[in-house]
Amino acid sequence: MSGQLELEGLTRRFGTVTALDHLSFTVPSGQVIGFLGPNGAGKTTTMRAVFGLTDLDAGVVTWNGAPIGDAQRRRFGYMPEERGLYPGMLVGEQVEYLARLHGMSPHDGYREAASWLERLGLADRVRSKVETLSHGNQQRVQLAAALAHHPEMLLLDEPLAGLDPAGIDAISEVLVEQARAGCCVLLSSHQLDQVEDLCESVTIIDHGRLVVSGRVDDLATSGPRRLVVRVDGDRDAQWARNLPGVTISEVGGGEARLVLDAGVDSDAVLRAATLAGRLTEFVFARRRLSEVFREALG
Amino acid sequence: MKPTLLVIAVIAAVTLRIWLWRRRRRTPAARDHTNWGPVHGGVGLVAAREMRERFRSRIFLVGTAIILAVVAAAIVIPTLNSGKTTPERVGVVGNLSAGARSAVESSATSNATTVHFRTVATSTQAATDLRAGLLDLVVIDGRTLEVNTAISPSDSSTNASFIQAVAQNLSYVVAFQDAHLTAAQVHTLEISKALPVASLQPAKPSRASHVNSVALTGVILIFVMLSQYNTWILIGVMEEKSSRVIEVLLSALRPIQLLSGKVAGIGLVAFAQATLIVVFALSLSKGVGSNLFHGTAPLVLASTIVWLVVGYAFYCWVYAAAGSMAERQDQVQTLAFPLSLPMIFGYIVALTGASSGAPSELVKVLAYLPPTAPFAMPVLVGFSAVTWWEFAASVVFSLVCTIGVAQLAARIYRRAILRTGRRVKIREVVSRRVA
Repeated sequence: MSGQLELEGLTRRFGTVTALDHLSFTVPSGQVIGFLGPNGAGKTTTMRAVFGLTDLDAGVVTWNGAPIGDAQRRRFGYMPEERGLYPGMLVGEQVEYLARLHGMSPHDGYREAASWLERLGLADRVRSKVETLSHGNQQRVQLAAALAHHPEMLLLDEPLAGLDPAGIDAISEVLVEQARAGCCVLLSSHQLDQVEDLCESVTIIDHGRLVVSGRVDDLATSGPRRLVVRVDGDRDAQWARNLPGVTISEVGGGEARLVLDAGVDSDAVLRAATLAGRLTEFVFARRRLSEVFREALG
Repeated sequence: MKPTLLVIAVIAAVTLRIWLWRRRRRTPAARDHTNWGPVHGGVGLVAAREMRERFRSRIFLVGTAIILAVVAAAIVIPTLNSGKTTPERVGVVGNLSAGARSAVESSATSNATTVHFRTVATSTQAATDLRAGLLDLVVIDGRTLEVNTAISPSDSSTNASFIQAVAQNLSYVVAFQDAHLTAAQVHTLEISKALPVASLQPAKPSRASHVNSVALTGVILIFVMLSQYNTWILIGVMEEKSSRVIEVLLSALRPIQLLSGKVAGIGLVAFAQATLIVVFALSLSKGVGSNLFHGTAPLVLASTIVWLVVGYAFYCWVYAAAGSMAERQDQVQTLAFPLSLPMIFGYIVALTGASSGAPSELVKVLAYLPPTAPFAMPVLVGFSAVTWWEFAASVVFSLVCTIGVAQLAARIYRRAILRTGRRVKIREVVSRRVA
């Protein structure tokens, strides 16, 4: 089970609004890919375009080089942003039903539904109605529905939203396992810390256009040098605000993340920090994904 | 013996099949996980889900029970009244000839009742018994009749009809006696039959009141069921859209597959419910000896089922398209009202026609228009005011129009079902270019 999703020149306009603007990128199998962008960037429209849920003004979506038809689409798993389940239907029957709509036999659909619900900790809720479940558990049911037919590709729109740490860990584990098994996994999220931990690569879009795409490790080590500095008694990093060639990237929890221009001497920064107060931390750091995101969007 | 063996064989086969099926569900199979064959069964799966959910719903079970109870009451109550006729108590003062006695008895028979004679010694005693309510009628010397309260000309009760019949029949007996006819002559007169009346044209159809009742019931049944099942479709489509499950469904199915499965599933539930009601009504009617389903009534019932199916086929697409344009309950109300107007109009006109004893010209016209034909045509059948080919022509015309309506509805559904946010306007989804 391996393949590659290719999006080529996707363009979609809603009246005067351009949701996708000649968007092109590739989603290879075997890794979890983060799909990032601010609200309204076009992430959901892109995912819907893959499933033919929105008409395109231009562009084509292919799987292993071939246009995606009905039969191929049934081999994909989809988890929409606003969860899509029948509120009054029993959990087990719902997952089995959706698996069968994707082409599974009655026996396999039943078995896989039971297996995934057990794996996601919902074995005792198989006979419950979806509407009686908590948000987190409904999220797990939705994931089970996306996985039960053993998809070749998973498209997950905000799968981690609203989950507690245990829920995030459970879903992350499953997604990594699927990717290792050769599945193509693309997920969108605004929780950049989780995406950084989970994804090997990210694609960032804005206003329907591709902004950045690459491996998380490469993006983290690229760009100017970064320092993490903690000075007691100066939680807002006032000491660094007027340093030439130094930009404050983030300030939080008494810690300042600084970006150094090419010619800046780090020793000069160290001296300035020492003069400002008791220095408790001074280390070179990788670029965080949140920094990549902010810098990419300007 | 053969039928018994056959029944045992069928039971054994069904049991074995269920056991194998349950075993398959429990035992992990060694087959491949994936069965990527084309989902020809997608429509069937959607229909099966709709049927399962509807049959399970409390509203369906309670609704069906209420309809069956109403039908049972309509059939059984009239038979209870007819079966409990009390005998007419006739007091006899003086002599009552055999011919006169026979005339009284035949008067009772013709009014579907019986008679109980009691000899009373004097007319004074008879008057006392009449006042006390111990007697219904007193015959004095076979020539004079007495009752406690005068019979009103408008009184149509069994008792009044019986007394009027006795008065008439006894008058003949008295007349025969006064004419001093011989016994043989009296007998000849008694067994005389009415002369046959020749006619230039065949008789016009009977308009017995029970036929109108069945047509009336059929129209009400069609209206109630069409309203119920169309609302199910409207709400069902709207809920799929508002719960966003539609996105998951359409990632595996085409819109037309989903829509077809939904209308087929709910339609089969409607047909099953209607068939259950009709079979129940016919069985109960036969069981209790009701005369409700005699004459053209079975034909009216059959046409009711036909028009329920044809009417559902016509309206279901319209309501599905409307449901795809709504996302909230209040939007559904706004959309449902104008859609229900043709149904309400057809229903009221048909109901009035069935109650009036003769179908109006308007009913005859509406019987050929697809939105109103499901209500008007069964009324024409009830009055035998339509030929088989006129009936068939109306069905065919409705089905042809249904094809056009279905195509337009599928187009609206496909364009509107994934558009969220505000209510979709009709002109936005029927235009050639979609924003």
